[in-house]
Amino acid sequence: MTESEEPRIGVFVCHCGHNIAGTVDVERVAKVAATFPHVVFSTDEMFMCSDSGQQLIRDKIKEHGLNRVVVASCSPRMHEPTFRRVVEEGGLNRYLYEQVNLREHVSWCHMHEPEAATEKAIDLVRMSVARAARLESIPVKTVQVTPRALVVGGGIAGLRAALDIADRGFEVVLVEKRPQLGGHVIHWTHMFPADRSGREVVSPMIDEVMDHDLITVYTDSKVTALDGYIGNFDITIKSNKTGEEHKVKVGAVIVATGFEPFKPIGYYAYEDSPDIMTLAELQEMPPSDELLRPSDGKPAKKLAFIGCVGSREPGVKGHEHCSRYCCSAVAKAASDLKDRVDEVVVLYQDVRTYGRGHEEIHRLAREKRVIFSKYNPDERPEVWVKRGKITMRWRDVLADDLLEFKPDILVLASAMVPPEDVEEIAKIFSLTRSSDGFFNPEHIKLAPLTTHTAGIMIAGVAQAAKNASETVVDASGAAAKAAALLARGEVEIESTVASVNPDVCSSCHTCITACPYGAMSIDESHDPPVAHVTEAKCHGCGTCAAGCPSGAITMLHSTDDQILSMVEALLMPAQMSGGEAR
Amino acid sequence: MVDTNNDALKSILVVGGGVAGMQAALDAANQGYRVYLVEKNPSIGGRMAALDKTFPTLDCSACILTPRLSEVARHPNIELLTYSEVEHVQGTLGDMRVRVRRKARFVDETKCSGCGDCARECPVEVPNEFDEGLGFRKAIYVMFPQSTPNVYTIDSSACIRCKRCVRVCERGAIDLDMQDSTVELHVGVIILSTGYRLFDVRKYPRYGYGRYPNVITAMEFERLINAAGPTNGHLIRLTDGAVPKRIAFIQCVGARDVKKGVPNCSRVCCMYGVKNAVMAREHDPDAEVSVYYADIRAFGKGFEEFYEMARSRFGVNFVKGRVGEIIEDPETQNLRFEVEDTLSGRILNVEHDLVVLCPGLQPADDLHRLAEMLGLRTSEDGYVEIRDALTAPLETDHPGVLVCGCADGPKDIPDSVTAGSAAAMRATILLSSGGAK
Ligand SMILES: Cc1cc2nc3c(=O)[nH]c(=O)nc-3n(C[C@H](O)[C@H](O)[C@H](O)COP(=O)(O)OP(=O)(O)OC[C@H]3O[C@@H](n4cnc5c(N)ncnc54)[C@H](O)[C@@H]3O)c2cc1C
Repeated sequence: MTESEEPRIGVFVCHCGHNIAGTVDVERVAKVAATFPHVVFSTDEMFMCSDSGQQLIRDKIKEHGLNRVVVASCSPRMHEPTFRRVVEEGGLNRYLYEQVNLREHVSWCHMHEPEAATEKAIDLVRMSVARAARLESIPVKTVQVTPRALVVGGGIAGLRAALDIADRGFEVVLVEKRPQLGGHVIHWTHMFPADRSGREVVSPMIDEVMDHDLITVYTDSKVTALDGYIGNFDITIKSNKTGEEHKVKVGAVIVATGFEPFKPIGYYAYEDSPDIMTLAELQEMPPSDELLRPSDGKPAKKLAFIGCVGSREPGVKGHEHCSRYCCSAVAKAASDLKDRVDEVVVLYQDVRTYGRGHEEIHRLAREKRVIFSKYNPDERPEVWVKRGKITMRWRDVLADDLLEFKPDILVLASAMVPPEDVEEIAKIFSLTRSSDGFFNPEHIKLAPLTTHTAGIMIAGVAQAAKNASETVVDASGAAAKAAALLARGEVEIESTVASVNPDVCSSCHTCITACPYGAMSIDESHDPPVAHVTEAKCHGCGTCAAGCPSGAITMLHSTDDQILSMVEALLMPAQMSGGEAR
Repeated sequence: MVDTNNDALKSILVVGGGVAGMQAALDAANQGYRVYLVEKNPSIGGRMAALDKTFPTLDCSACILTPRLSEVARHPNIELLTYSEVEHVQGTLGDMRVRVRRKARFVDETKCSGCGDCARECPVEVPNEFDEGLGFRKAIYVMFPQSTPNVYTIDSSACIRCKRCVRVCERGAIDLDMQDSTVELHVGVIILSTGYRLFDVRKYPRYGYGRYPNVITAMEFERLINAAGPTNGHLIRLTDGAVPKRIAFIQCVGARDVKKGVPNCSRVCCMYGVKNAVMAREHDPDAEVSVYYADIRAFGKGFEEFYEMARSRFGVNFVKGRVGEIIEDPETQNLRFEVEDTLSGRILNVEHDLVVLCPGLQPADDLHRLAEMLGLRTSEDGYVEIRDALTAPLETDHPGVLVCGCADGPKDIPDSVTAGSAAAMRATILLSSGGAK
């Protein structure tokens, strides 16, 4: 133990209202904890995370000269940062704090066994007290931030994000894999709820981006590598045509790589007629006064839509999600096109016109006598093409009738799915994906725009299916995250990283191959050369330490000594003076 | 009191301290701007503080919210003005003078430590609005245990001036003669994030809310199943304390109804209905739980998957159909109604022990006054009109006023948070370009 003073540990057991105290006898846990070695103060409290709970910790640190704090409450995921800050405010290093999870690991999972739960709680607290006695302070480090952002994807999300960051006064590098900016939206002929074409919406944005002094645009190019860490990413951009590479340094990244409209091959005779098309293909048809049938160029008189094509399919990987934009887009298209054709039929599962103004579009479509008919997902409509003619047959669940319709054009509202290179993007930016195939945010409720990789944001459909107006709000929000990072100029990095003891390292390179984050290298300037950790890249996963044959690598804040002390406290409780108190 | 050395081009006022307003405040403050966050209640947190779990992950709402509360409270660039209201605004983008009324809370914020000695001593009990009136609080109170700031407030309409609290308060923080005061702020941009109120379900007399005690609202349900709520999280009927075995959720009460002046969809009710139905099964796996709906709108990330799980894994029964008049059995106080199951075409005659109405969202009470004062257009149903859904989704008719969260229409938590971040971005752009953008 390097910490020279004798440990003086304070234990705070949280009731979490009824969440913990309803099952675990928290008073008893606190009483028993008071008998553990080095514990000089122990108590229970209604809500440790409340202001008064936090104040209690600060007061007791002062009053009892505590130099280690153990809070037995909930999962550290949410509140470890809270309590680390509290002990810091109390004058201790944040790594002299230890949390026990009595809620998710005890009360919530042993709700019907209060006594056994209390025993388990005591065990866990004893283990953490043993570990706390061996905790060491670790200095908190900060790194500088390069005041420039990278935006990947030049659709409406990427354009908005790039403009926002640049308008705020920071440099932006915008990379688009296609030859033109504007994404999918630029091809849409009519967008809801506004009566404008996609081109009318994005063209001014593209002009602004091209003219902006602070924005550098790379079209027909891809990001092929990302190295470095929050505040200091090294990006490699490669031109698709020439293969030429550019290296740029940026402080923050926004991934706005969007989606692809699902090609519904195998659905509803999609490939059997040019008159069966996706909603995206309909949207991309050249504008004309009449709706012309692709097969023969004649005006279409009867039009049909089918919703949820490749969406909302339980158990089908990548197609379980709702694609969110389609119900309103179908209602809009059906309502608009009803003015040009005689009959429009929409087959749906649920009408999800949830947005502001969308319900009006839906109502307008009904008033114009667009026919909405609900089908049962377990008995999907049948579609076949005979001599070029489309026939569809389905059961209308509301009327319980088997209906038939022969549309001139059939439009399939197909799902939003990730672009085909999504896995490559995920790898480059260390992003994970959820079951819809899109990227996972850091927290689905409260941090929808940041990711688990610090400094990398997601915006628009890259995060989940949504419409264009929701996408631009995402983009501005993600831009705010980037702007905050660039404006601050420096950022704290995690200190719980690997540390190499150069005297023991045999320079075998095992750690270098083991490290998934490229954080290990060989320091050639050392004699003899030894392993070296780039701390800002290290995630503290411990793979290197586990692999090191010489035991030269220590994981700060998870040392062997700390972990073994917990095992000992569990297996040999009597060794600790608290053992007898049970 | 006049704030003189305040540079308006570095300052932002956020009105409403719910999850949207807090996010807007944090994202502007993190860029180095000074933020005043005005909240009319004694604590920030908004509705989310009162919710039990959140869809679609069933995270405990208060648990994920509290770190946010303390982050806002301790941020060096954010000044909290709780229990306060915006009284007057004058000026335009980059130069707005705002008068804020700080209601007397009769407790000195700088002295109160939130120890609660006063409330223990207080002899007056009144229904607790945080628990939807189902539990009680004292006349001197905090809204909820993690209230931020953690300062007590005296409800002057309930206080009997017995002064027992004054005598026990060791810090001498209580001042029964405290008066309202005003603060003048000079800011460049205002962000409105006033959130929502719930539709008054009494406007549907056929559902019997108010007459039949076992017909409750979704918000009451949230409090009943909450471990920090009035029943410590035990789901019981209010009439007899029995554990309900047949629970109904009725959707779209005060939404998608042109006749009631609420033509729009409220966006969150389907999912909170599904969530609460799942929670009802979690609390009592033997309970029969039915959701009566028009369309299930599970459109957000992970929502459809959650809805599917509610059906397949949790065995919640979904019935598409409009519920008729609810009749109470006077003996058992159970509730009966007819509903046409439109999928099977059959008329069902059902009986439930507990009926939960899922009300739609409406703009906050005060939004109308603020909008009028600022010259903002509002829609037929009272929300602030944005300038353009695709190019200016947070902008209003006033060049210096932005809007986020539920102030421009119903939104769930992630959408509110995202809009809060976006409003912060647009605000700082307006200010950093000196109002040129
Ligand atoms: C029963 C129910 C369950 C729900 N469950 C979920 C769920 O599980 N998941 C989910 O994502 N969403 C859920 N929601 C929706 C969620 O509550 C909202 O998304 C969220 O609260 C919106 O945040 P907000 O900040 O816009 O509004 P609010 O939370 O309403 O906050 C607005 C704040 O502004 C204050 N304020 C209002 N007017 C003024 C004024 N004039 N001056 C100063 N301050 C003012 C208010 O006091 C309040 O603190 C649920 C809603 C209900 C009704």
